[in-house]
Amino acid sequence: MENIATQFKSLANSFSKESLALRKEALASFQKLGIPTTRHEEWKYTNIKARLRQEFSLLPAESRVNKAVKNYIASLPPYTYRLTFLNGVFHPELSIIPDLKGVTVCSLREAAAHTGGIVEKHFGRLVDYSQEHFAALNTAFVTDGAFIHIHKNVAVNEPIYLQYFFTATDEYAFVQTRNLVVLEEGASLSLAEDFRNASNIDVQYNHVAEMYVGNNARLDVVELQLEVSNAIGIHTLESKVNRNGRLSAATITFSSPNTGTGQSLIRNNLTARLTGEGAHAEFAGLYFGKENALIDNHVLIDHIAPNCTSNQLYKGVLSDEATGVFNGKIFVKPGAQKTNAYQSSKALLLSKGASVNSKPQLEIFADDVKCSHGAAIGQLDENALFYLMTRGVSRHEATQILTYAFAHEVVEHIQTKPIRQFLCDKLRDELHLNF
Amino acid sequence: MQSMLSINHLTVAVNGKEILRDFSLTINPGEVHAIMGPNGTGKSTLAATLAGREEYEVVSGEILYKGRNLLEMEADERAREGIFLAFQYPVEIPGVSTTNFMKAAVNAKRKHQGLEPLDAREFLKLMNEKAQLVDIKREFLSRSINEGFSGGEKKRNEIFQMAMLEPSLCILDETDSGLDIDALRIVANGVNRLRSPERSFLVITHYQRLLNYIIPDYVHVLFDGRIAKSGGKELALKLEAEGYDWVKEELVAD
Ligand SMILES: Nc1ncnc2c1ncn2[C@@H]1O[C@H](COP(=O)(O)OP(=O)(O)OP(=O)(O)O)[C@@H](O)[C@H]1O
Ligand SMILES: [Mg+2]
Repeated sequence: MENIATQFKSLANSFSKESLALRKEALASFQKLGIPTTRHEEWKYTNIKARLRQEFSLLPAESRVNKAVKNYIASLPPYTYRLTFLNGVFHPELSIIPDLKGVTVCSLREAAAHTGGIVEKHFGRLVDYSQEHFAALNTAFVTDGAFIHIHKNVAVNEPIYLQYFFTATDEYAFVQTRNLVVLEEGASLSLAEDFRNASNIDVQYNHVAEMYVGNNARLDVVELQLEVSNAIGIHTLESKVNRNGRLSAATITFSSPNTGTGQSLIRNNLTARLTGEGAHAEFAGLYFGKENALIDNHVLIDHIAPNCTSNQLYKGVLSDEATGVFNGKIFVKPGAQKTNAYQSSKALLLSKGASVNSKPQLEIFADDVKCSHGAAIGQLDENALFYLMTRGVSRHEATQILTYAFAHEVVEHIQTKPIRQFLCDKLRDELHLNF
Repeated sequence: MQSMLSINHLTVAVNGKEILRDFSLTINPGEVHAIMGPNGTGKSTLAATLAGREEYEVVSGEILYKGRNLLEMEADERAREGIFLAFQYPVEIPGVSTTNFMKAAVNAKRKHQGLEPLDAREFLKLMNEKAQLVDIKREFLSRSINEGFSGGEKKRNEIFQMAMLEPSLCILDETDSGLDIDALRIVANGVNRLRSPERSFLVITHYQRLLNYIIPDYVHVLFDGRIAKSGGKELALKLEAEGYDWVKEELVAD
């Protein structure tokens, strides 16, 4: 395997001139930072170094659409709008791109060439590649992704799906994917980022998204991580919400390794910076871990401007030997008076071997604020189980029903109706409930 | 005739403390038995033991249900075999509607009986019919189980569930407490319409008033974990008028 610098050199020609300086900076930063170990505070419970291959290829992976992939895609609902990527490479023939006034949707590669300064102005500007290991790696190496730009006061009525399929054609591949979403003032959009391992072999990927929510704009994002078995996936979403803007992001993870050799590991880094007065951010997360999966949610809501509100609601269901990690940060910067921030994190442990590390982290540097958090880790309520069983449902089914009840609250939070509906059904399927 | 329920010399302990002691009671098909008695004497313990609550440890004695050893069955199997407990304190379960819960329960029972699950239409029909029986509004059934229900609404929901599951042995633990006068009549009517020669009731109550509506065949007074006195429906009237002191005195005199 060629080393990082050599791999970068062989790609450099394909990068836009404008982005080259930034990518070089990111590369230098990654070379300094490396892959984090558990000595690193933010990776204390998530031993990514032990899971990732020691050597990996950052060159664009093979992306042929074979029959299996075709069948797989055909089995999915026929979304109105979608951009489809296979091993990080954009496939226009599999995509349905909206053709709407005031809406620019294309691959990031095209965007860099055709949309003037807008990509340079935003690409790599939200992620902190000087500190974030994987954001640095991604910024240096990513070759494609999705670009969405919604012009002033334009509302897109149907959700746009950004689909990322992975097929492990090269076991060393460490696929880098990227999205850039810009909502101008008063724009609104509903978006799903959908990640699936379409093979049954181990894959590793590193996804970064930057999202800008302008004044009075509204963005609803759902991160779908429903078929990420045998995957090591790192997801970073960095967002900035301006005056009276509104962002809601939900991360839904169902993870269990079943055919691969290793451990499924999903790490989500979700950040919202509330930079304009009256901005609102809402993060919700639901994760199901089975077997020896590890699911880690690191979230941060950064209150920079005054009069902003935020909400975090995370729920995990862990069985077998699965591990959950939750780190929920609320920062209130000096001057962010009248902040109202709430966080709740709950985990259900369904077996003796399951565990969760949950850490709220509130750093408040303003005096006139309302911040609160609650955390609970536990088993199902025996009283409730007994009640259900006295009506004839088995202990197993009662467990499934109560798990559904626990998890459903997060799904209810999702604003986009078809996605909410789909997830409700998915949840019932997953729990084998037929009501 | 085989008895519905036959409890023989039952001793039950919770956390090492004996609550029911050498308790015996036989209920035949079609009979209604009322159990009265002061607070803390073990009425709910009896109900929970019959329903299969695991914390209640059967120290000695036996319980036969339709001739079978009830103690070998878990709570869910007992329910599928036709035992129903209307809780003194129904549990609130946010996130699951009563409708969905009943769908699961009715179909679990049907499966146990070797029947096909009800389809959506059949289920709806059954539900409408039973909801009418206890005059429960449809909107309650689509809400989370008991969540935010008033005391009386919870009790009505219990009787609705009982009607849905058509049990053989219905145990009502203070279903009347918390009901207003109209609700009491509605619930009692619901129960009476379920009375049949194949169905038995064990009605736990503190108030004679309920027994004006649901007329019992037998009234028992539970005292200190065992039946201190049994009689007909007139025993309830005497208890209402005179309290429990005379029962206590008779016990001491024995
Ligand atoms: N889980 C438990 N742990 C400890 N003690 C218990 C438990 N359940 C019941 N008890 C005790 O057992 C005794 C009988 O309780 P039980 O609930 O059966 O009374 P009851 O006759 O139903 O009273 P009430 O009329 O107030 O409903 C009480 O002293 C009670 O405190
Ligand atoms: Mg009681």
